[in-house]
Amino acid sequence: MYSIVQLFVRHGGLITLVIAQVISFYLMTSQNTPQREIARLSWGWYSNWLLEWRNRWLDYLSLRDENIRLKMENAQLRTQLANLRASETPMRDTVRRQEAPDSLGKKLIRPEYVVISARVVGNTFSGRHNWLILNRGAKDGIRPNSGVISRSGVVGIVRDVSDHFSLAMSVLHPQTKISAMVKGYAFYGSLYWDEKDPRYLTLSDIPYHLPIRRGDTVQVSNYSLIFPEGHTAGIVDTAYRPQGSSFLHIRVRPTQSPASVREVYVVTNRYAEELDNLTRATQEKR
Amino acid sequence: MKGNWFFPNLWRFLSLLAVQGLILSGISYNTDGYISLLLYPLFILLLPILMPIPIVVLAGFLIGVFVDSFTGTLGLHASTGAFSGYVRALILDRFAPQGGYTGKEPIASPAYFGWRWFLSVSGVFFAVHLLWYFSVAYFTPVYFFNKILPQAALSWLSTMPVVMVLMRLFYPKN
Repeated sequence: MYSIVQLFVRHGGLITLVIAQVISFYLMTSQNTPQREIARLSWGWYSNWLLEWRNRWLDYLSLRDENIRLKMENAQLRTQLANLRASETPMRDTVRRQEAPDSLGKKLIRPEYVVISARVVGNTFSGRHNWLILNRGAKDGIRPNSGVISRSGVVGIVRDVSDHFSLAMSVLHPQTKISAMVKGYAFYGSLYWDEKDPRYLTLSDIPYHLPIRRGDTVQVSNYSLIFPEGHTAGIVDTAYRPQGSSFLHIRVRPTQSPASVREVYVVTNRYAEELDNLTRATQEKR
Repeated sequence: MKGNWFFPNLWRFLSLLAVQGLILSGISYNTDGYISLLLYPLFILLLPILMPIPIVVLAGFLIGVFVDSFTGTLGLHASTGAFSGYVRALILDRFAPQGGYTGKEPIASPAYFGWRWFLSVSGVFFAVHLLWYFSVAYFTPVYFFNKILPQAALSWLSTMPVVMVLMRLFYPKN
């Protein structure tokens, strides 16, 4: 009460003026036609402006949700794309129960991939064994040996998963080996990091007679069990034939810089484990 | 404020209200609003200098309400009167003599401060009053340059000589 009195003593004139103006403006807009009409139009204009401003602000605030929604939608589309590639292979599956029609009316012979969006929450790229931590885990459907890709390139391979997080080997890890090929040539090799320059990967086992040039695209081959076929991995920087070798030594600049990766997709091949078991069983028999 | 301030101000209130409401409001109609002779602000200007600002604002609001009841523009002069009551304090403060107002000069009259001072104070005061009046009359800034400003200027030019004549005639001292 005392503070109200103090306020009035200090700013009494201004307070009285504001009260008098409020009463006057009320009288003006309620009793005088011209002022009432102008006030009505002005209120309409200002309320529209305020409403528009509010909507813009709400749109801005909902961008994060929209981003998550778009990433989920993108993951779904990538899943469809990867599976569509598999369905386009000229083969006939006689097991009808594995067939399922997609939105294009085609028969999906083998829906191979599941794509889940994730974010990199931890990343090393300056050591010899580099790792990534992703904010998705087993409860999100991530399994070990899933591929990690970004929109522009390959990122790594999931090794371990907890309920909510995954640990992935970066492409800058000597154990990360990706089946890759130079676009346009039907020969595949192994893409890996030679632990020297973190700016470059090495593509080996490509026959020397291929006219590989600087700027050619390196992509995931159709033999990869981890990454979707055709996904871009890098650009050829240099290619030469070491003395006495039948294969080229190709230095590849990754299209996704391992240091700056943030938003990724985890690609799980549903049949990877089955194929791996099959290969092992065959090797054991030998 | 000395004791004999009430009745002179009451007299000014009634006489200026009568002149404004019964005579001068007709001039505004005849000139399509382009010349509005507003003399009632003189009552606000001549209220005791040391009167508390809230009371000056209320007095301005009150005479405005009465003028509005004559002219049928409820709220218009009330708003202008209250605004002028507040602005008066700022103007008087700006034109205060050295050492401030001591109470020896009860009202802002040329009888105490001279004609030059009064012309400056009343000139600014009436200009502000008329600008506010036309602003709320049009109620939109759209007409500021082609209506509000010219009409306020014309009205100021016609009001100020009348104010000077009245002050010369009555030469109020309290």
